[in-house]
Amino acid sequence: MINIKSLFVGSASVSLIVAGNVALANEFQGPVRIVVPFAPGGTSDILARYIAPELSEAIGQPVIVENKAGAGGNIGADYVAKANPNGHTLLLSDLTALLAAPSVLDNVAYDIESDLSPVTMVSYSPYVLGMSQQHNFESFDDLVEYSRNNPGDIAVATSGVGANNHITTERLIQDLGLDWTVIAYRGGSDATRAVVSGESDMLLNGTTASLPFVLNDQMNALAVTGEERLEELPDTPTFRELGLPGELDGTYQGILVTAGSPPEVVERLQKELADILATEDLQAKIAQQGGQARPSETSAQLQEWMTEQMAELTEFIAGSDIKQ
Amino acid sequence: MEIINNLALGISVAFTLENLMYCALGVTIGMFIGVIPGVGHLAAISMLLPLTYYVPATTALVMLAGIYYGAQYGGSTAAILLNLPGTPSSSVICLDGYPMSKNGRAGVALFMTTIASFVGSFITVIVLAAFAPPLANFAVAFNSADYFAMMLLGLVAAAILVQGSPAKGLAAVVFGLMLGMVGTDVSTGIQRYTFGLTFLYDGINIVAIAMGIFGVTEVIANVGKVAQIKNDQKITFRSLLPTKRDVKDSVFPILRGTGIGTGIGILPGTGTSIGSFIAYALEKRISKDPSKFGKGAIEGITAPESANNAAAQSAFIPTLTLGIPGDAVMALMLGALLIHGITPGPNVISDNPDLFWGLVVSFLIGNLLLLILNIPMVGLWVRLLKIPYPILYPAIILFIVIGVYSINYANMDIMLVAMFGVIGCVLLILGFEPAPLLLGYILGPMMEENFRRAMLISRGDLMVFLERPVSATFFALIALFLCWSIYSAIKQRRSPVEGEL
Repeated sequence: MINIKSLFVGSASVSLIVAGNVALANEFQGPVRIVVPFAPGGTSDILARYIAPELSEAIGQPVIVENKAGAGGNIGADYVAKANPNGHTLLLSDLTALLAAPSVLDNVAYDIESDLSPVTMVSYSPYVLGMSQQHNFESFDDLVEYSRNNPGDIAVATSGVGANNHITTERLIQDLGLDWTVIAYRGGSDATRAVVSGESDMLLNGTTASLPFVLNDQMNALAVTGEERLEELPDTPTFRELGLPGELDGTYQGILVTAGSPPEVVERLQKELADILATEDLQAKIAQQGGQARPSETSAQLQEWMTEQMAELTEFIAGSDIKQ
Repeated sequence: MEIINNLALGISVAFTLENLMYCALGVTIGMFIGVIPGVGHLAAISMLLPLTYYVPATTALVMLAGIYYGAQYGGSTAAILLNLPGTPSSSVICLDGYPMSKNGRAGVALFMTTIASFVGSFITVIVLAAFAPPLANFAVAFNSADYFAMMLLGLVAAAILVQGSPAKGLAAVVFGLMLGMVGTDVSTGIQRYTFGLTFLYDGINIVAIAMGIFGVTEVIANVGKVAQIKNDQKITFRSLLPTKRDVKDSVFPILRGTGIGTGIGILPGTGTSIGSFIAYALEKRISKDPSKFGKGAIEGITAPESANNAAAQSAFIPTLTLGIPGDAVMALMLGALLIHGITPGPNVISDNPDLFWGLVVSFLIGNLLLLILNIPMVGLWVRLLKIPYPILYPAIILFIVIGVYSINYANMDIMLVAMFGVIGCVLLILGFEPAPLLLGYILGPMMEENFRRAMLISRGDLMVFLERPVSATFFALIALFLCWSIYSAIKQRRSPVEGEL
């Protein structure tokens, strides 16, 4: 039975070795691993699996996707933070989750700013505000008005305490000065279930999860995050159009690497990944997942963005009810 | 006659050579994965996921689903032969399966669990084909109050699982509840009993507990025991076959188990274990002679076995019809669909009828294949008992370690399984039972989470549990059940001899 087991591992890795031609410049010695700190099947995992074969072809080494789930992404991130700093262990993750972790959790074993260094952003996925069919609000303003007249009545489902959509929900509450009951669920699909069933009243969630229910009239979309309206929901305004004072965001996926990795390896990774993310094929695949490809021009650009976000998130979470 | 057309479509999809091959591959892998203690289908499916890039979405799902339900068949094998559950949901099979094995009826037990698995799955697939959309809508309408009431009923049922002292049984359940509290509290995000250890943030791995307190404990407990059970028993074809009585005693338990498994399996997040525990408890409760449970009662293996297979099949109902996955494996399968450009959601059946119906027909084919694969294996598995302990036990420990590691690739899980092996030994010596502990562990966190959520939403109004019809029904059942227990206890005290009968 050991054979069966090793056969799996073998076949899984063999299938990832796509066109193992010798690379021109040889920054890469041996296989590269993309660690996904979440369970298989989620956004980060699927992105990693799209990218892996392309990256493998580009660098001439096998690229293996490895899931190290747990503690909201922090087990996998910690693993990469402590990996051999040779640039062969990448972390593909929801960036906000990692940036918020030190403010939300008590014991984060690594320091995102000093133990991990950025390579490139991968994609941005906007949120849809999905409303349960229990309410028939025509617009976001109706929801706000109802919330003002019925404090505490609207129950907002989140994917978990400190999850990205929890933070965005708290921002909305703060921006509008509303009284909503925030209910944490065990992950996004549990939260979606709750809103479809009418147990909770609304949630902010990615388009892949929410759009099918919106299009099937099991949820009403009242607003979306991001700069532009969604192609699929031309009549749903963005929060920006609604004139909200704060920045309401969706999720950002990015690739980081162990700090101290050779700069030439990081640079090569950034360049190859930017090329991969610029291809129509990959952009279409990301779009299908409800995201928009957002490769960074340089790794320094992502560094800047992360530093800014980190400071902003730390301040916001400290002044909110997110951590009890 | 829409269903006939749909099934015809499904047959045309499922009976292509490619799909048949991947179906056979999936169920075979699943069966072996199930047999190896601790190796979960999640690990197998995530390892095989990259393979599915190169085949169409339906084919990919046919194979991945095959692994999922195939593993339910194999799970009981080691439970019966070695008191070692292959999957956490087959822990309850140990209770009567292992005694059957000790009585020299291992072949019969394996034979009957295969039949129970098949019947449970097959009926549920037919239910799935006929009523998937309405059932999914029913499942989704279950809210936190209903979940809580159902879990409470499950916990009350745990009392029946106890074979020895009720006080020790209760203590075991409470210990299980306490273990379930370890980790991040879902409602507040606060860490409980994690001592700052990151690997405990998501709680203690259930496989580590199940493999530890059943498997490792069993191995430790048998070290030093010279005599091997029924080592000399002749394995004849006849000895593998169930008697007419076995079959007759199993018909209704299998049907009841299937009903329970299907009902619980369609609720997202409940998994396959709860159904098998409740099916066992129900059989013991309604049995004319509850004292035979724990000593090799055939109902004690066939009912839970059909329940966990039924639950594994009905878990596909919310996953496929609504795109709401019940567990991590289902989420992974939806991920596989996404990779193939199919967005899971309430329109999957209408947008991709060939996918849904092809999969349904492949379930039927897969289960038939599993039946054909498993029956001849029975004789082979029984021969495992002939392997001397000094060779068998180290091998078991090795498989447990590989298995538990394959779940999260976490070294700490191996430490945990060893620790629970020792804890299990202490519990065994002191006369505490592992099954109620495990049920407490499974139900505790879900109960707490749903209770607090129901309270948050109703803003502290306890009446919410009685106002909702589903939860009110469960509470009525709990009341009925408690009254029955008190009544039978009083009756037993008045006439001890009659009470036994």
